[in-house]
Amino acid sequence: MTSTLHTTKKVLSIQSHVIHGYVGNKAATFPLQYRGWDVDVLNTVQFSNHPGYAHFTGFKFSTEELVDIVEKGLVGALGIKYDAVLSGYLPNVQALQKVAGIVGQLCEDDENVKWVLDPVLGDNGRLYVDEKCVAVYRNILQNFRIFLATPNQFEMELLVGMSIHTLDDAKRAFELFHEKYPRVARVVVTSLELSEFSNDNVYVVAGFDSSLSNEIFFYKIPKINATFSGSGDLISAMLTDSLLNDHGHTQQTLSTSLGQVLWLVTSILQRTYDLNVAGQDPHDSAIRIKDLKLIQCRDILKQDPVPTIGKPETIKL
Amino acid sequence: MPRLLATQSHVVHGYVGNKAATFPLQCLGWDVDCCNSVQFSNHTGYGLDKVFGTVTNEADLKELLSGLFDNFPRDYQALLSGYLPNKSSVRCMGTYYAKFKEENPEIIWLMDPVMGDEGQLYVSEDVIPEYRKLALSPRQLVDIITPNQFELEILYGERIKTKEHLKKALEKLHRTIPVIIVTSCDCKMFDDQEFIYCVASMKGKRPIVYRVPFIDSYFTGVGDLFSALLLDRVYEILSNPTTTLRFEDQVNNVLNVIQKVLKITRSYTSGKIKAKMGSALEMKEMELRIVESRDKYETISSSVHQANYIYARL
Repeated sequence: MTSTLHTTKKVLSIQSHVIHGYVGNKAATFPLQYRGWDVDVLNTVQFSNHPGYAHFTGFKFSTEELVDIVEKGLVGALGIKYDAVLSGYLPNVQALQKVAGIVGQLCEDDENVKWVLDPVLGDNGRLYVDEKCVAVYRNILQNFRIFLATPNQFEMELLVGMSIHTLDDAKRAFELFHEKYPRVARVVVTSLELSEFSNDNVYVVAGFDSSLSNEIFFYKIPKINATFSGSGDLISAMLTDSLLNDHGHTQQTLSTSLGQVLWLVTSILQRTYDLNVAGQDPHDSAIRIKDLKLIQCRDILKQDPVPTIGKPETIKL
Repeated sequence: MPRLLATQSHVVHGYVGNKAATFPLQCLGWDVDCCNSVQFSNHTGYGLDKVFGTVTNEADLKELLSGLFDNFPRDYQALLSGYLPNKSSVRCMGTYYAKFKEENPEIIWLMDPVMGDEGQLYVSEDVIPEYRKLALSPRQLVDIITPNQFELEILYGERIKTKEHLKKALEKLHRTIPVIIVTSCDCKMFDDQEFIYCVASMKGKRPIVYRVPFIDSYFTGVGDLFSALLLDRVYEILSNPTTTLRFEDQVNNVLNVIQKVLKITRSYTSGKIKAKMGSALEMKEMELRIVESRDKYETISSSVHQANYIYARL
């Protein structure tokens, strides 16, 4: 028994692993550890680097290996009580089904286990998993008690079955999401391109907490002239921390947490951008930044309390 | 900002191998690329029937390392190698690391030749010649090794029973390796069994003996943390010829950090400091508190706040 004075929050993070760079578990683990979490890191693949590079090598773990480690090992033999499970990229339909089944059961049996689910399907109109995974995720979202889901725009569109162009579409999508998946308590869409704001050079991050209110809230974030890999993984990890680490002893609202997480993430993206373009000629076209500079952002990750990016706007559902 | 590649084991739960090395190095500012030689649910001290997961097979390890070094041929300032499960994985790591080192001679390679402890091998015997080849290579590939006494004896080829004998062994190994840190020496060579003796030796200088309090407990992963921190502290010296930092102080500093981590770890255990091997529930409590120790990894510049463990010159 550890003393009650000494409790470290525990999370099981189930995501991809890249040796070089920061996506999946490599984007989530260090920030969570640096903010005090004991992270059990289950890798679903091991790649040399992420597929955004021209070449990569590596392999996927078999469904059986993943299932054995969680079911027989962590939950079975070790009986670990997690405060949260963070799930991301799973390499195929079968692995997704099985692992989600085990995690889902864990959360049904013990309501203290909070599931933060990033339904990794694709981005910018392109799927990067088997098409069948869409139906599997719909099933998972329908059947299990989920604390927070963090789709991007494309994933949200696939999950609710409509495309999102305007603020009104977004509102409708959130309504549909809640109708279809009432057991998902909270949802944050990590990036939305909406026509209303296309001239302002901003994107939108929006959220909804079904346990609190019937309004969605959103933050407008100035765009950086670059694309980043791993920023979505960082958002879901930092939301896990902000919502569940009891930094301030009272649980924060999703809206407050999201404002802080967006401050962290945009600060990290800005520094990553600055470090990447330092010494380069000015350019007009968006550059593709492959690796977040997480280690060089330790001072940002250490902020406590975390400042907020601003006030959200709200829309009644 | 320095970047290193670490090839060793990965456990989902707990802190050994890459899980013990990565976070402290990241806290110190290193970008750590972790190549995992295994993915296990937890370390083997929990009991072999309670370890799930797999060893990265030879073909996969080859693919990973060749992919990395093809994509990032100049990216690493340091290489770290630790526990590798079998002969082919040691050979594979050795081949790729050696090639990288020869193409980038200024980088630092720390090799922890993990083979066993206190007379007991925990890898198969055919691993031995692979580590000997790397350590004794006339190509002078490895910069730092961190064997325990048993592993030192294997690399040297003879039992070591006296201080004189230890000196000779170090001299011989220094022909190919500039820095040798023997992480735990047989205390019978020294005076007192209440302590752990550690010997740090830099080629051309007198080896230094450190004496640290013996904590009677079963903590796994201490050696992995030790190697990681040593790499950081010795890198600061080897990579900077004009440094005013002293080797003996850097090692002393690492020993101080380790003592602090052990102290923090003990403060979380319920008075029990000896877990039964194979008892999963007890082992779970004995994991190093790597995250809780996150403020302790930085160099302590003031000597007021740290102990001096230097005991003698060999």
